[in-house]
Amino acid sequence: MATSVASKRLFTEYKHLTNDPPQGITAGPVTEDDIFVWEALIEGPEGTPFEGGVFPAELKFPKDYPLAPPTMKFTCDMWHPNVYPNGNVCISILHAPGDDPNHYEHASERWSPIQSVEKILISVMSMLAEPNDESPANIDAAKMWRERRGEYERRVRENVRRGLGL
Amino acid sequence: MDRRLDIADSTDWIGTPLAPFQSLENALRCQVCKDFYDTPMITSCSHTFCSLCIRKALTSDGKCPVCRASDQASKLRRNWAVQEIVDAFQAARPAALKIAQEHGSLKEGQEARRKKLKRSIQDTGPEDQEEELSFQFRRTRSQSRRAAAATSSQEVNDVVNGEEEYQPDDGLVPCPICNSRMKEEAVYAHLDRCDGQPSSQGRSTRSRASAATLKPPQRQPYPQQSKATTPPTERLPQLSYSLLKDNALRKKLQELGIASWGPRPLLIRRHTEWVNLYNSNCDSSRPRSKRELLAELETWERTQGGSAPNAGAAPAGVMRKEFDGQAWARSNHDHFEDLIAQARKKRTPTDATKEERTGDQESEKIQGSPDQDIDDEGKPAMINGGRNTTPNGETSGSRDNPYEGNEEALSIIRRKVEEANHGNTTQRSSTEDEDVPMANALLPSEQARAEEMQDSIEPLSAPSRKSPLSPTRKKPMFSVPEEPVEDYETDTQAH
Repeated sequence: MATSVASKRLFTEYKHLTNDPPQGITAGPVTEDDIFVWEALIEGPEGTPFEGGVFPAELKFPKDYPLAPPTMKFTCDMWHPNVYPNGNVCISILHAPGDDPNHYEHASERWSPIQSVEKILISVMSMLAEPNDESPANIDAAKMWRERRGEYERRVRENVRRGLGL
Repeated sequence: MDRRLDIADSTDWIGTPLAPFQSLENALRCQVCKDFYDTPMITSCSHTFCSLCIRKALTSDGKCPVCRASDQASKLRRNWAVQEIVDAFQAARPAALKIAQEHGSLKEGQEARRKKLKRSIQDTGPEDQEEELSFQFRRTRSQSRRAAAATSSQEVNDVVNGEEEYQPDDGLVPCPICNSRMKEEAVYAHLDRCDGQPSSQGRSTRSRASAATLKPPQRQPYPQQSKATTPPTERLPQLSYSLLKDNALRKKLQELGIASWGPRPLLIRRHTEWVNLYNSNCDSSRPRSKRELLAELETWERTQGGSAPNAGAAPAGVMRKEFDGQAWARSNHDHFEDLIAQARKKRTPTDATKEERTGDQESEKIQGSPDQDIDDEGKPAMINGGRNTTPNGETSGSRDNPYEGNEEALSIIRRKVEEANHGNTTQRSSTEDEDVPMANALLPSEQARAEEMQDSIEPLSAPSRKSPLSPTRKKPMFSVPEEPVEDYETDTQAH
């Protein structure tokens, strides 16, 4: 296995995350053979309807990581304004400075090589707590979040329960 | 063994008495590659990165990764001080970490002991220190020698006394090798990079000679500065690729001695990579040979360049691992149908509507997944028709079909072959009349096919088209009269 810059950095990040994991976040390569595909588990932030849930997601890294950002996709049901119905996460830290799908993001929030898996996952966690409805990826969820907050929270809680097999 | 355990990381300090070293180490690591700075360069916005990291980042988007200020590779300047600190820290790290990890719990006891040691240094001298350190460090020759010498510690103590001149209790302790005085916390870190050269006169030749063979080569402070005054290796210029034609670009690559194959975008990426590698090597105080750089480029080629696994694929990555074949088939169903219908039209330019219906059926066969829920009228008709009409087909087609339930398609095909042969050889008109009601109700496309075959007098066309779906078919195919075989073979393969 060629130790490219990308794989070396991913190993470093993996070790860092293993030894010093942020609260409520676990992440690592699915197999050690392919360091470019990770699985992450994110706990629902406290005080939000996501509380109590554990949300699995898949991270895929490009070969020129960290110059280009990874992609992140929840592999569970996720009802959230910034998560596409297929699970893809739409958050500014995952967007390279060049591409701005929604034309609202500040350059300072975008991907930069100094970001890391840890920062992505922390950002996603705070995104769960505070959706950004300016550029919804899931328009129905955004509408529900804006107009029928009660129903939104019920639906999220239901997803959490289902995700836990209750 | 777990590969990540081999990687030094700032989290190594967590849980040791030297936990604050984590932030120290983080500060000595490049934010892009998260490794220790390698040839640190400072940008116009005063941020420091590895030479290669910042060069790559700048060629990729022209901005400082930290503050996103625009910058150019030509404005980068070397940051020798950081290099110096990183080298020193890296040299000190293993020993310091080992001590921190292994003897962290004993630290308090050691602390007390060292204080005592310091007070009584003239009595016990370095002997105690030797004992304390030698089980933690590689025992260097100088150390062993000194340990041996310490048995007759009088000699050593004399030197110590002579050099130290009864240093007062200033809170500092001497390095057992070079005798320079420092804070006691710094001794272990210092030991690892101490080249044995005493800060003052003394056993310099002895310890220096032995240390030179055992220690990693120590840089003298700021050697690069003198080197920098000599004309530095010529850096490669960036090219404005848009002004270069393909051939000129290829020629440039050849002149540089790197591979010049591949399409233009690859040439550009390879050249950029090479320029970054080469120029960062120019920055380095320990430049590598061109051969090593070429090996590096080869790694790049394998992982991101022309030899990368998916280099041949379209950039959009049409055939990724998660490629959803069924969805693709579904979304392009109409297109497939059109293509098939067109192909069919060329072969048998007869009735257009019939052709289309035949096309429907044929395209379903190509997709080869009859359970797929395509909301096209042709397909459900075929599936339902096939399932429901198996008995019908047997009765009206006047032939026994002993196929299993999940082989409706086969039975249909067989029946059709039968019809075709039948119609061709014996009573054409009667077959047509008999078949029409059955086919109208259930299998419009088959009717079309039957008619088509009769019209164009191609008795074999149906069997041969169907053949890939009916491996168990036996008699009807081979009992058919004379025909040009090869033509249909190729047709079959295409499907």
